[in-house]
Amino acid sequence: MKNNIYYILATVLVMISFGYSTALAQDKPSKTYIQIRVDGLSCAFCAYGLEKKLKKVDGASNLHIDLNAGIVTLEVPTDKKPTEESLKKVVTDAGFTPRKIKFSESPFKKAPKDD
Amino acid sequence: MKLKYYLFFLAYCLFILCTINVHAQGPPIYTDTPVLLGLEGSGIRTFGKFVQKEHGTIYLQPIVLPYNITPKILVGAIIPLVNKNPDNLAARFGVGDIALFIKKTIYQKDGKAKTFRIVGKVKQVFPTGNTTETPYIGNDSYQTLLGAVIGYITTKVGVYSDFGYNITSNGLSDNFVYNIAIGYPLLAQQYPAKQVNIFLELNGNYLLEPNSNNLFISPGAQWITGRRVLIESGIQLPLIEQVAETQRTKFVFTLGIRVLLF
Repeated sequence: MKNNIYYILATVLVMISFGYSTALAQDKPSKTYIQIRVDGLSCAFCAYGLEKKLKKVDGASNLHIDLNAGIVTLEVPTDKKPTEESLKKVVTDAGFTPRKIKFSESPFKKAPKDD
Repeated sequence: MKLKYYLFFLAYCLFILCTINVHAQGPPIYTDTPVLLGLEGSGIRTFGKFVQKEHGTIYLQPIVLPYNITPKILVGAIIPLVNKNPDNLAARFGVGDIALFIKKTIYQKDGKAKTFRIVGKVKQVFPTGNTTETPYIGNDSYQTLLGAVIGYITTKVGVYSDFGYNITSNGLSDNFVYNIAIGYPLLAQQYPAKQVNIFLELNGNYLLEPNSNNLFISPGAQWITGRRVLIESGIQLPLIEQVAETQRTKFVFTLGIRVLLF
């Protein structure tokens, strides 16, 4: 009888811990949103090189370049989140100057239009 | 009379450029750009150039192949196809003088939606064009151009200049090449680009022996159709032409395309 109680308690504990860890995993965002301020983006025909290089970042998707604001946004799977240094190198290799880089668990608001 | 007409035309173009609402532009048509392609970036540029001379026509089709070996160094080759059609001689077609060039960014100051860059460049022309029969396809001269390209480019305007000293051999005169360009886009800014840009350029060449100057005014337009393709056209009209009457140019019409490969 005592053994049965221990057995039931152990089973319940295992189920609770499994459920808790699953809930934790579900809370963790699956995507990381990245916003890069890029200086020197002054020509639409020149921006192709930057787009091409950022698309090579592992898992990169939904890449958007706003020339007027000098801002690039993209998404990556959270487990493939690149380092700030690696992103700066990509921008520098493309011929531009990287500034502030932000990571977020929710999408960035689009920059207001200048005109 | 001719000069007056061109000055009026220039003033008109400047007036139009100054009064329209504009946003961004691409590289100029006849003047070099200080913006390189980025590491491992490559492209192809070609344009048909129809030159109407006093005594014949010339058709040039240069193929330009640039490649960025580092973020700040670009190398490339120019392979010109030439068709010369003088009034009193048979037409000839062939590969002209092939050139290799290297460009290096020596100064770069970037800001939000703007950049100021200086690029040094060296271009070496090899006398590969045939000169055994007239009309000559090549110049029979090694030529080395040492120059610089300076540009201030924002999303609203682009001002470019490129100049250099061209050292020649085999009896040709050394010359000083100078170009300036201003460019404006006509359509709203967006990326991928769908734009029409207009340019006004001055393209000059000062020969040292004998001292003589040649200056063209070159209005032009560009259509950027997306990420990788740019179509452009322009016309060059002589403002100053201190050459023999038989060598004078009536106009040069250019129609070209640039494609970014990778």
